[in-house]
Amino acid sequence: MAQNVLDDFLVKLQLTSTKTIDIKFPGGGGSKSATDITGVEMFSPDCEGCRAVRIVYKKKSWRLAAAEVVNGPDGELPERWEDTPHQPTWELPRAFQSPHAALAVNSAMSSFSQSTADAIVQDMMAGLDAAPSASPIPQADPGKKRFGLKKEAKPATPPPKPAAKSSAPARRPEFPKDGESVSENGRRFVTRQMPEHGFHIYSSLPEFQTLWVSRLLPEGRRPTASSIQVAESALMASAFLQPEFRAADGNALVIFARPNAFYFAGYKKGEPALWLKCPSAGGTTAMRNAIKKTLGVGEDLVDSVLNDSLVDPRPALEPFARPVLAQLELSLAYLTSKHGLKFDHALMIGLGAGAEHWSAFAEDALRLKLIAPDPFDGLVIDKNVKADCAADYLVALGAAIAGAEVSS
Amino acid sequence: MNSSSLHLNLLKPNERLSSSPVRLRVMLPVGTLLACIGLLVWWGVVFTQLMMVKTQSNAIQEELDAKSKEHAEVIKQRDLARELKLQLEQLEYYKAGVRSIANPLAKLAEVVPLRVQLRELSVRPPAPQVLLPPNVKIPLFGPTENVETQKLAIAGLTTKETPVVSLMESLGSGFETLVTHDRKINSFRQDNAEAEGRKLLSFEVEYTMPERRFAK
Repeated sequence: MAQNVLDDFLVKLQLTSTKTIDIKFPGGGGSKSATDITGVEMFSPDCEGCRAVRIVYKKKSWRLAAAEVVNGPDGELPERWEDTPHQPTWELPRAFQSPHAALAVNSAMSSFSQSTADAIVQDMMAGLDAAPSASPIPQADPGKKRFGLKKEAKPATPPPKPAAKSSAPARRPEFPKDGESVSENGRRFVTRQMPEHGFHIYSSLPEFQTLWVSRLLPEGRRPTASSIQVAESALMASAFLQPEFRAADGNALVIFARPNAFYFAGYKKGEPALWLKCPSAGGTTAMRNAIKKTLGVGEDLVDSVLNDSLVDPRPALEPFARPVLAQLELSLAYLTSKHGLKFDHALMIGLGAGAEHWSAFAEDALRLKLIAPDPFDGLVIDKNVKADCAADYLVALGAAIAGAEVSS
Repeated sequence: MNSSSLHLNLLKPNERLSSSPVRLRVMLPVGTLLACIGLLVWWGVVFTQLMMVKTQSNAIQEELDAKSKEHAEVIKQRDLARELKLQLEQLEYYKAGVRSIANPLAKLAEVVPLRVQLRELSVRPPAPQVLLPPNVKIPLFGPTENVETQKLAIAGLTTKETPVVSLMESLGSGFETLVTHDRKINSFRQDNAEAEGRKLLSFEVEYTMPERRFAK
C-alpha cells in the first residue's frame, strides 16, 4: 500500500519587513499522492543519458509503467559554486511525466555510509572541505518578495569555510532529526537511525549540487522533484519490493553488483542495518574484464561464457569473487552478532549473468545460497516496457521506491 | 514495513515545487489581489449607487419642499376659492332673496281710501342675527338662517274707522308679494291733529311680510 507522507507545502506570507505568516497547505509541493512516481538515475558514469523508471500503484500492486534511458539535462553536475549559474531546466518524456520525480544523483562529492552520531557531526563540521568555495551563488534573492510572498530563504552566499580553517571557534552542529534534511557548512545532510543503537546511516551532497538538481525540473510541469537521493541510497531501497525481501519480513542480506563496485546491504525489518562497499574488488565491469582477459573472449561472448556450460568461467571468476565472499562473510557475521539475523541465503541483484557460479562459490565457502532475482521482480510490468536490462535500472527503481515511501 | 526508512531525501520540504500548472504560490496572492480588487470595485459600485441615491434623495427632498410650498399655496388658494365661492353663493342667496316692493307700493297708492292719510310706511328690520357665534374666528358673511321674516308697519291718520278697515281689506287681495294675511293693529287712538274741524284718529297696522328666502 502506498502512503503519502510527504510534508506540507509551506508558504510564507510577508506582511511587513519583519512580520511573516507561515501558511501550510496539505500535500504541498504538488505531492498529493506518491502512487505515481518517476525515479531517475542522474549522471551515471556508465550511461549516456539518464535511466528512468516510472512506477504506479494500481489495483493493489505496483506496476512498472515505463523504463527507458532518457536524455539528460543540458549541462553537467556542477563541481564548484561557480558552476551553478548555469541552471538548465529539464523536461522528461511524456511516459515519465508523473506528478513526482525522485532523483538519484551520482556524484563524486556525495557520501553515503553508516556511522556513529559523533562521526557524522564531525563530517558535518568538515562540511564542504572537498568542494572549493568561490563566489556567491548567482541566483535570485530567495528572500525577495514575490506577490507579497517570501519563499523559504536559501543560502544566498556560499557557506563559510570549514570551521577547522577558521580562526573562530568551531560551532558544533546539532545532530539532525531522523529523515530531516539539513544544511551544514555547504553540504546537505540527511540521516536515518539504524537498528543498532548509536548508529546512523547518512547521505550527503554538496549544497550547490543539491540546489542545482532541485531546480532542474521546473515548477508547473510534470514531474517536479519530490526527492533527491544519492545513488547508493537509492540502490539500497531498490530491493524493497523484491518478493524474497517481503517474504523474509524485511530481514535480508543483499549484494548489489554494480559496474564499479559490489555493495552489501543488510536489512532488519525493512530498516537499514548494514551498508558496506566491498573495498578490495571492482564492480561487474572489472569482473567482465577479468573474464575477457583470462579466457580470451570478446565482450559479446562474456554473457554466454557466464551463462552456458561450454566454457567453465570459474577459474577466471574465482580470484575476483574471493574478496567479495570474504566481505560477505564479515557482513553475515556482523548481522548475526549485532542483530541476531541468520541467513541461509542472500540476494544478489544486478549481476546480469553468472549468478549460479557465484552461488556455487558462496555455498562452498559459506554454505550460503545466492539468489539472483530480477530487479523488476515484485512489479507488474506493463506490456510496452522493455525489461531486458533490468539491472541497469536498479538505482532509478530504488529512487522511485524510496520516494514513493511504499509501505507493506 | 515502510520504505521511508530507506528514504534519505536531501530535498527540503520548502524546496519542493508543485507540478500543478496552478501554482498556489502565485495564485494565492493573485487571487487575493483579485478578491481585493473585486471588493474595491464592489465597494465603488455600492458607493456610487449610494451617492446616486443620496443625490436623488436630495433632489426629491428639494422637490418635495417646493411641492409642499406649492401645495400649501394651492390649499390656500382652494380655501380662498371655496370661501369666495361661498360668498358668491351667499350673494346668490341674497340675490334670490331680493324683495321687490316698488310695484306693490305704487299700487298701494291706488287702494288707499280718501279718508286715510298715510304718515309712515316702514319695513322693520328683522332682529339682528348673531354673525360671530362662539368658537368662530371669522364673522359669518351672511345670515345663518335662510328665511327672514319682516314686518311692514303702516301708520296714518283717518277720520273714522271705516277707511282703515277698507284699506286693510284692499290689502287683503292683490298684495300678496307685499303682505300676508297676518296682521295686527298696533294702535288706533285719538290724535291731536284736526281736519275739517274734528279730531283725527291715528292708527298703526303691522303686517307680516311674506317670507324672504335666501335660496337658489
